Amino acid sequence: MSLDDDLAAWAASVRLPDAEAAAMFERIVRTPVVTPPDAPVSSPPAAAAGLDPSWWRHFSAGFAARMVASNRPVRRAA
Amino acid sequence: MDREAEFRRLYAAHRVAVHAYFTGRTADRQSAADLTQDLFLRVWQRLETVADLPADRQRAWIFTVARNLSVDAHRHQLTQAGTEQALALARRDPPEPASAPVIAAERVAVVGAAIARLPEQQRVTLAMATAGQLTSAEIAAALGVPAGTVRYRLSLARRAVAAALDRYDEPREDQ
Repeated sequence: MSLDDDLAAWAASVRLPDAEAAAMFERIVRTPVVTPPDAPVSSPPAAAAGLDPSWWRHFSAGFAARMVASNRPVRRAA
Repeated sequence: MDREAEFRRLYAAHRVAVHAYFTGRTADRQSAADLTQDLFLRVWQRLETVADLPADRQRAWIFTVARNLSVDAHRHQLTQAGTEQALALARRDPPEPASAPVIAAERVAVVGAAIARLPEQQRVTLAMATAGQLTSAEIAAALGVPAGTVRYRLSLARRAVAAALDRYDEPREDQ
């Protein structure tokens, strides 16, 4: 018996049998596909909760105006 | 894309080579089967990524994942257990003279034990060449080493197995 024959016999003893390979295939394809975490997001991001940005613009402008007015020196009566 | 058809194509093309690779890494048939399933489950989950690659890069992707899987700590424990089991088998006393089928089974065991004792790189290379039926060039591409290195490892591995078989044959020739 040649070395190649011995190695071929060993290879046959460790090779995955076709029936086992077929069963493995069926188990895998029945597994639901999980979307990987780095996959692109298909839906647009949800709107941020809270007040509309225009409210904050008006509020900030009014607040700044009140601060400036409150620090203006009081005009004394002549 | 027909996912199942595409996966079936990849599975048919790489299954034997991947299982041979894991057989070489683990020296344990069941661990090799478990790892093969783990790997192809990842291929199934990432099929869109793998299917878009050229054939040579598909093989590279698959064997990169295979390498990562086989260095997993839990799997490493299984590897040690499998190797120790194989070595324990090799340390048994020489068997009594037996019939041809028993001798053939013994020779397979001697080859298996000799392969289990090989350095890992030689074991993986020999397993991919024999059980995986890959050429030196294909093994080189999968492992990312020169083809000359693959041929050298194969030569050393075959020499070690041949020496183990010679030691097995000697006692019977003396009788």
